[in-house]
Amino acid sequence: MERILRKFPKPSKGTLMFFGGLAVAFVVWHFASLHIDQAIRLPNFVTTMQAFFTNWTNSWVMENLGITLWRVLRGVGYASLIGLPLGMFMGYSKTIRQAISPLMNSIRQIPIMAWVPMAILWFGLGEGPTLFIIFMSAVFPLMINTLSGVMNIDPNYISAAKSMGASTLKIFVTIILPGAFPSFLTGLRMAVGLGWMSVICAEFIATSSGFGFLLIQAQIQFRTADLWSLMIMAAVTGYFIDRILLLVERSLTSWRFKDAAEN
Amino acid sequence: MPLKINNVRKVFPNKKEVDHVVIKGFSAEIEEGEFVSLIGPSGCGKTTMLSMVGGFQQTTDGLIALDDVEIDGPSVERGYVFQNYALFPWMNVGRNITYSLRMQGMPKEQRDVRLKELLEMAYLTGHEKKFPIQLSGGMQQRVAVLRALASHPRILLLDEPLGAVDFQMREILQNELASLVQKAGTTVMMVTHDVSEAVFLSDRVLVMQSNGGELLADVKIDLPRPRDRSSDQFKTYNNDLTDLLRKAFNYSKE
Ligand SMILES: Nc1ncnc2c1ncn2[C@@H]1O[C@H](COP(=O)(O)OP(=O)(O)O)[C@@H](O)[C@H]1O
Ligand SMILES: [Mg+2]
Repeated sequence: MERILRKFPKPSKGTLMFFGGLAVAFVVWHFASLHIDQAIRLPNFVTTMQAFFTNWTNSWVMENLGITLWRVLRGVGYASLIGLPLGMFMGYSKTIRQAISPLMNSIRQIPIMAWVPMAILWFGLGEGPTLFIIFMSAVFPLMINTLSGVMNIDPNYISAAKSMGASTLKIFVTIILPGAFPSFLTGLRMAVGLGWMSVICAEFIATSSGFGFLLIQAQIQFRTADLWSLMIMAAVTGYFIDRILLLVERSLTSWRFKDAAEN
Repeated sequence: MPLKINNVRKVFPNKKEVDHVVIKGFSAEIEEGEFVSLIGPSGCGKTTMLSMVGGFQQTTDGLIALDDVEIDGPSVERGYVFQNYALFPWMNVGRNITYSLRMQGMPKEQRDVRLKELLEMAYLTGHEKKFPIQLSGGMQQRVAVLRALASHPRILLLDEPLGAVDFQMREILQNELASLVQKAGTTVMMVTHDVSEAVFLSDRVLVMQSNGGELLADVKIDLPRPRDRSSDQFKTYNNDLTDLLRKAFNYSKE
């Protein structure tokens, strides 16, 4: 018996504290909702949890979640197509950097939601503006991280490659690309995170499908428990996307870690 | 005569202040198969000199020639080991070592034969799948040397190859480096600021002075190999060169 028990690692103090904190919050919520007793403002904890768990098997909810995630994927894809080469060129050439940096840094200061009206004028309602908003929030972290990835490559790597007979093209493929890759992946993770956050806002206004649209529907119809459960769902989804990307990042650049599998 | 350095000057232009003359005039010759060390106080221009031989920087004046051909850029003829090794962290040991062979377009079967030979030479067989981060400092240094040797360079250029290694490990790694270089049979030019390292490894030691990087002394180390660090002659060389280095340093203060 003891042997079996020993197989399960003892939960760390951090884990215990996390679940402790969560439990306290839930208890406070539960009694607050009983006390306030206005389901439109503060839904019952148990009802919300029930809604939360049934959401994951609700085909309507899942379909709209899928629509939103597909938008994030495409938006970040387009942003990579622009941000990656732009970051590369800017990292490679000081002239290009000087030409583009001030403009980029100015555009970057525009709050992302301020683009929504413009995006609707450009693309009309529907997929267009939502994709554009994801694109705008994803392109800068991608570009800046790729840029700093290229700039932080040890110049000795390039000298070494030259002294071993590498052509400019070979240097680009064997040194610059892999050297900037970890930083690009970090940018990608930030881009997906920001894209996920901003797409929901764009969906409030610009479209009649997607996860943001579900939130607005729940609000309009005073289904507050659903609204809360969807919000929790958004947090959980965002968290797991980030974890998965972190795992992908680690496994694609395992050479950065001492415990890497030999390859 | 493989390497000829003739009256080389190196000036770094400075827009705001006066130009920085790092090397006023440096001449030296290195014979086939010789191991020559360049020692001098920190900042006297050793790395600058070596990187001009490597072809990474241009001379302001003067001439550097290998086998009577003027050097005008990096080449596989000159294997270079950087102060921080500059191993490519995303390539495993095998791919780092065979990098120059791949750039030369050597077919895989031949590359594998050469890799096996090199790994055996440095007692690294079985480590070829590891990444640089998984290696000790000493192993990284050997991989860097093997990588520079892979394409049979005419001369091996080493910039403080043991600079990053801690004191206890230094002597062991000096032994390893000595045996590795001896097996490869290459001509070597090494930069160091460690006198006993220079005496242990070199056939000849060039002392650079602090201000202007001119040659202050050219000392032949006439000791049998492998060298005995505790012998009286070794200590005499060590003391003489330490005095010269002190003198080299004092030049800058005058
Ligand atoms: N690219 C450069 N531009 C301007 N000054 C440089 C450059 N590289 C080296 N120096 C200067 O040249 C001098 C010699 O440097 P270095 O060759 O690295 O010395 P060492 O290797 O002997 O310690 C130093 O004063 C350094 O600041
Ligand atoms: Mg140096």
